Amino acid sequence: MGKGGFYLETKAPIIKFAIAEKFLNLARANSIWPMTFGLACCAIEMMAAAMARFDIARFGAEVFRPSPRQADLMIVNGTVTKKMAPTVVTLFEQMPSPKWVIAMGNCAISGGPFAFEGQYNIIEGIDKLIPVDVYIPGCPPRPEALLEGLMKLEEKITGTRRFPIPEKKW
Amino acid sequence: MVKKTIEDIKNTLKNVDVSETSYVERGYHLAIEAQKENVAAIAEFFDKKGFYLADLCCVDYVDYLELVYFFNNHRELCRVKVAFKVEPEKPAAPTISHIYTIAHWYEREIHEFFGVYFEGHPHLVYLFLHDGIDCYPLRRNKVPVTEDDKKLLNSFKPEEYEDGFFVNLGPQHPSTHGVLRVVVDMDGEYIMSAEPVLGYLHRMHEKMAENRSYLQFLPNPPRMDYLGALNFNLGHVTAVEKLCNIEVPERAQYIRTITAELNRISSHLLWVGAFVADLGGLTPFLYTFDDRENILDILEGITGSRLTYCYFRFGGLYNDVDDTFIDATKQFIKRLRGRFGMYEQLVTKNVIFINRVKGIGVLEPGRTPKYGCSGPVIRSTGIPFDIRKVEPYAAYDKVGFDIPVGTSGDNMDRYMIRIREMEISLNIIEEAVAKLPSGPFKAEKVPKKLKPPKGDVYHTIESPRGELGVYIVSDESDTPYRMRWRVPSYSNLMTFPYIAKGTLIADAIATLGSYDLVIPEIDR
Repeated sequence: MGKGGFYLETKAPIIKFAIAEKFLNLARANSIWPMTFGLACCAIEMMAAAMARFDIARFGAEVFRPSPRQADLMIVNGTVTKKMAPTVVTLFEQMPSPKWVIAMGNCAISGGPFAFEGQYNIIEGIDKLIPVDVYIPGCPPRPEALLEGLMKLEEKITGTRRFPIPEKKW
Repeated sequence: MVKKTIEDIKNTLKNVDVSETSYVERGYHLAIEAQKENVAAIAEFFDKKGFYLADLCCVDYVDYLELVYFFNNHRELCRVKVAFKVEPEKPAAPTISHIYTIAHWYEREIHEFFGVYFEGHPHLVYLFLHDGIDCYPLRRNKVPVTEDDKKLLNSFKPEEYEDGFFVNLGPQHPSTHGVLRVVVDMDGEYIMSAEPVLGYLHRMHEKMAENRSYLQFLPNPPRMDYLGALNFNLGHVTAVEKLCNIEVPERAQYIRTITAELNRISSHLLWVGAFVADLGGLTPFLYTFDDRENILDILEGITGSRLTYCYFRFGGLYNDVDDTFIDATKQFIKRLRGRFGMYEQLVTKNVIFINRVKGIGVLEPGRTPKYGCSGPVIRSTGIPFDIRKVEPYAAYDKVGFDIPVGTSGDNMDRYMIRIREMEISLNIIEEAVAKLPSGPFKAEKVPKKLKPPKGDVYHTIESPRGELGVYIVSDESDTPYRMRWRVPSYSNLMTFPYIAKGTLIADAIATLGSYDLVIPEIDR
């Protein structure tokens, strides 16, 4: 873990080319590689989203990588306990930049049903440890909600929305 | 069996206060008031008689702490509760971990949650909690962690083992099905020792039960075991019904059976996919999820959720089923029966699969009482132990079914048993749907604020992974004084260090997959 914050910051490139960056972002948004990282109940819904019926491959995000070094999206799907928190932060640090985080489910957003007075073991919201790009509420969220969250992330990366009709920006 | 056990106890163990209790009301046949001096002798007696340690828990009564041991026999039902008191100041108790291997973990758990020190325990370090914990969480009064215990907080110190070659399997590892961590000591490709580290998903369910009313706790059990959510829901609801003496209408009992079995099939289907995926074959995953989605559709129609169902209520159900449910269920039975042939072609007859699982991870039937394992793990060793048969709940006594057993106790047997169980579950559902009576679906006059009489109750059901036990202590208020969950994966996983020793790491992964672990259930 870093000295100042909870996690080690990765530096952005010094030189950026606007047009190349736009093109790269388009490529990034359409081939997001999530990490195979399951915590709790929501992980099952993430698996369901990757399987035949919901088919996350339609959005180019079906390449689940078990190693954080090959992934650029971390889906935090479940309760983060105090024992697990250092591991989650380490995994986030190990991902190459640019990287994104989706907080899936109420537990990852705020502790969900397990946040009560006198609790001793959970982190109430993963955004206390690492920066979160998209929040998906639900306990657990449906696979459709995860797909919608993915599209929101694409919107964040490229600035346009894929569905229903893309806004003309390029 | 009960009479014989009483006689045996009176003959063998002198000066032991044993009394018979009402099994229907309490859920156990015998209650033994033990002393600190003779508890080890009692455990030894039950070990010799072939009993297994079903559960070991602690209840804090402020004035004193009570340690509760539950024994049962795999062959014939005889549940025995052994309880003894320890003083709250610097509590200490004798260990029984040299008699029952599973007591290793139970005693470590009690030590960290209540601060009870077990004399003679070989490795009394923290199992669940994180290093920053400053009090014993399940104690009624806030008791700070003693200085001696703070030294035990780090459960794994790598610098002590500089000579060994260690592999950390997890907590983020695709084959541990969640956040289990196994510290494996390796010699080349061979495993010298494996030690699971738990608690990466400890969500304080037992603490939450003490904070809220019986009704408010309803959403929690489904989140313990998200794959067998309805079974955990059923375990909680039936235990409270037993405590409060609530009669459940017959129609509700049948619907409970149907939905719980549907849930069991969906859990097993996911397991088949995940198990084969652990071994490297990703294709069956897609097929099993395809079937599973059908069950989720059916259950979503009546319960309203896809995964963490909260459908059963005290005295009945949330709502009645309709004809659409019945038709869809019948259609699904037809569909899945047609798919078993395909699974056999795809997985069971696959040479690579057979070579990876046959003769691997063998558990001998003689070892099972030491671990108290249950479910498909014990049935694979040839012991026909199924709670649905020995202690029928819901409408399981009104439908006929047989219990599949294995012969060698290896991974192949565990796989075959789950496949057979799915077929049997389909038969149960078919019979229950045909027999489904009309009538009310929930009991009348169930008060909204339940205030059960003083006492305790132990209730078990068969979850997809094995014996689930719920132990509730009531103090006449509307919240449980203590609610203890005996979970199946916990005792099943305890056999892993024994089985994995001396095997190749690839085979250990196959064994770990064959348990069908659900980590939030182990950690609670």
